[in-house]
Amino acid sequence: MAQVSLAGIGKTYEGAGANTIAGLDLDVQDGEFLVLVGPSGCGKSTTLRMIAGLEEPTAGEIRIGGRRVDGLEPRERGIAMVFQNYALYPHMTVAQNMSFGLRLARLPRAEIRRRVEGAAETLGLSGHLDRHPKALSGGQRQRVAMGRAIVREPEVFLFDEPLSNLDAQLRGQMRAEIRRIHDRLSATTIYVTHDQVEAMTLADRVVVLKDGRIEQQGSPQELYDRPATRFVAGFLGSPQMNFLAATVRNGALDLGGGAVLPLPPGRPLPEGRRLDAGIRPEAFAAAAPEDAAFHATATMVEHLGATSLVHFSHAGQDCAALMEPARAPRAGQPVHLSADPARLSLFDADSGRAV
Amino acid sequence: MARFRKPLLLAAVLALILVCFFAPFLWIVSNSFKPQLGIFSDVTPISWRTFLPLDPVAENYRSLFARTNILHALLNTAIVAAGQVALTLLLCSMAAYALTRIKFRGSQAVFVLILLTFLLPVEALLVPLYQVVSGLGLSNTLTGIMIPWIASPFGLFLLKQAFEELPRDLEDAARIDGAGHLRIFVSVILPNVKVPLLTLGLVTFLFSWNSFLWPLVIAQSPDAQVIQVAIAQQGSPTQLPNWGETFAGATVATLPLILLFLLLQKYFTQGMAMSGIKG
Ligand SMILES: Nc1ncnc2c1ncn2[C@@H]1O[C@H](COP(=O)(O)OP(=O)(O)OP(=O)(O)O)[C@@H](O)[C@H]1O
Ligand SMILES: [Mg+2]
Repeated sequence: MAQVSLAGIGKTYEGAGANTIAGLDLDVQDGEFLVLVGPSGCGKSTTLRMIAGLEEPTAGEIRIGGRRVDGLEPRERGIAMVFQNYALYPHMTVAQNMSFGLRLARLPRAEIRRRVEGAAETLGLSGHLDRHPKALSGGQRQRVAMGRAIVREPEVFLFDEPLSNLDAQLRGQMRAEIRRIHDRLSATTIYVTHDQVEAMTLADRVVVLKDGRIEQQGSPQELYDRPATRFVAGFLGSPQMNFLAATVRNGALDLGGGAVLPLPPGRPLPEGRRLDAGIRPEAFAAAAPEDAAFHATATMVEHLGATSLVHFSHAGQDCAALMEPARAPRAGQPVHLSADPARLSLFDADSGRAV
Repeated sequence: MARFRKPLLLAAVLALILVCFFAPFLWIVSNSFKPQLGIFSDVTPISWRTFLPLDPVAENYRSLFARTNILHALLNTAIVAAGQVALTLLLCSMAAYALTRIKFRGSQAVFVLILLTFLLPVEALLVPLYQVVSGLGLSNTLTGIMIPWIASPFGLFLLKQAFEELPRDLEDAARIDGAGHLRIFVSVILPNVKVPLLTLGLVTFLFSWNSFLWPLVIAQSPDAQVIQVAIAQQGSPTQLPNWGETFAGATVATLPLILLFLLLQKYFTQGMAMSGIKG
């Protein structure tokens, strides 16, 4: 049982003015795949390093499997960590890299061999055990780093942006592999990334961090469909959600520039209330000019293959809509779009909270 | 035309520089093969005879090895140099580790203070050093010859740079693997700074092998004499120095260095380039 729980965790780096992390509470269930996302500098790595024992929190308690671990050395915590730049020991072979920790722990040699060969098998590294890291490709190095984590047979896997140095195709492959390994070993996994595709595809639960605080947490779909704040809405989803300043007028939503949409069903709002309306690019639909709410000129069109991303400007805001390539205009041509009110996200214009 | 002249000019300049550096050395070697009289008669006017022994004799070498304790001095020098290299590497790398990998208050100040000692010329240190080392009862010992120099600010500087270039994540990974400071130092850091270590070792060896003034001050007794002192002091105060032997001794003293240089040339130049400062 390796539940990880952080209670009131705070971290202030020496010399840094503000708290990097302030009062973080987080419970990770046994066997859960938790993804920490957030913009650069929000404290993701710091949080992970505190769980690993590489940094000491300045406030709060960390428990792993019910056992208090803050103050313990990393090796005593039952964790393994994979770093962004792999951090392989350059002077050791693949096998030596993977077995370093086991040798330090004085495991029997037969056991070390069993584990290293098992991990190499799982990761497709069996033919490379005698190579040095510099003779490996980026993807292979990544695998060695994972292998080094696996052989420790940890209760908790910690990943700090493990795929960000790989090209897009490998990233997709390794993503699937990481999830597969997680499912097979049924260890608890905490995974840091700022790639929202990784967050969406890997996670049982996503935690969005901002300035060292939890902005929202939930399943990927939940966060995507019902973001609690404008920040989360803008952070998850690619291409990004469009935001338009809106006012409630005559029982409808005035989005400026002549665009008026009915209020979303079941959400009565007071007259004159100022809001930010969030519309996902895929919530737009091409419409006949007389039915359309948005009339604009396409400023740029990106063909993504299956879909096309049409950029236009509405009431001074840059917007983008996903359209079928066949129906997409060319740059400079007029676009007429409607938007499904049920798929609108509405945020208070001042606080950014969902209404 | 200018195109052709440039390399020629370059070659000429290089040749001149080469001659300037090489001539004294050649002179030493050639004199070591001349009888005492020949040495003086060939000095002026300078001609090719100055640099080439016409009928070489081995007499100087024979008497050098027979009459003086040069072999013993060579052995002393080798012990001092080897010890100095080993201790300098150990001390400097441990200090560099502490200064780059362990957070403590005032680490920067410590580093600056150590570097400041770099600015003091050896001559200014000689008297206080003598008092301290002889006070420790180490005069006329090989330990006394090497001990003031093993905590080398130059070495610390060189290794600190090298350590700082190693990614922190390596050490974090090692900590997760269960390594403590000593294990990280020995098994993760040191194997990845082999070239800087080798460079520092070579520079230290060179410095130690060629040092003269300090060994002269601290170790007068024949038992503890190093080669440079032995060469300078062969011939007693009542005798004229035997110049042939002196030249033979200088040649013998230089040979190991030349061998070392030829073997490990690459690291010498690297060391100079890395530090930007002469060892
Ligand atoms: N050792 C340190 N000393 C002082 N400040 C630090 C230290 N490490 C991180 N910080 C600061 O703490 C904040 C959070 O850093 P952290 O590395 O956790 O961010 P992150 O969310 O992982 O960002 P990224 O996505 O860029 O990796 C940053 O403002 C950073 O400057
Ligand atoms: Mg980070």
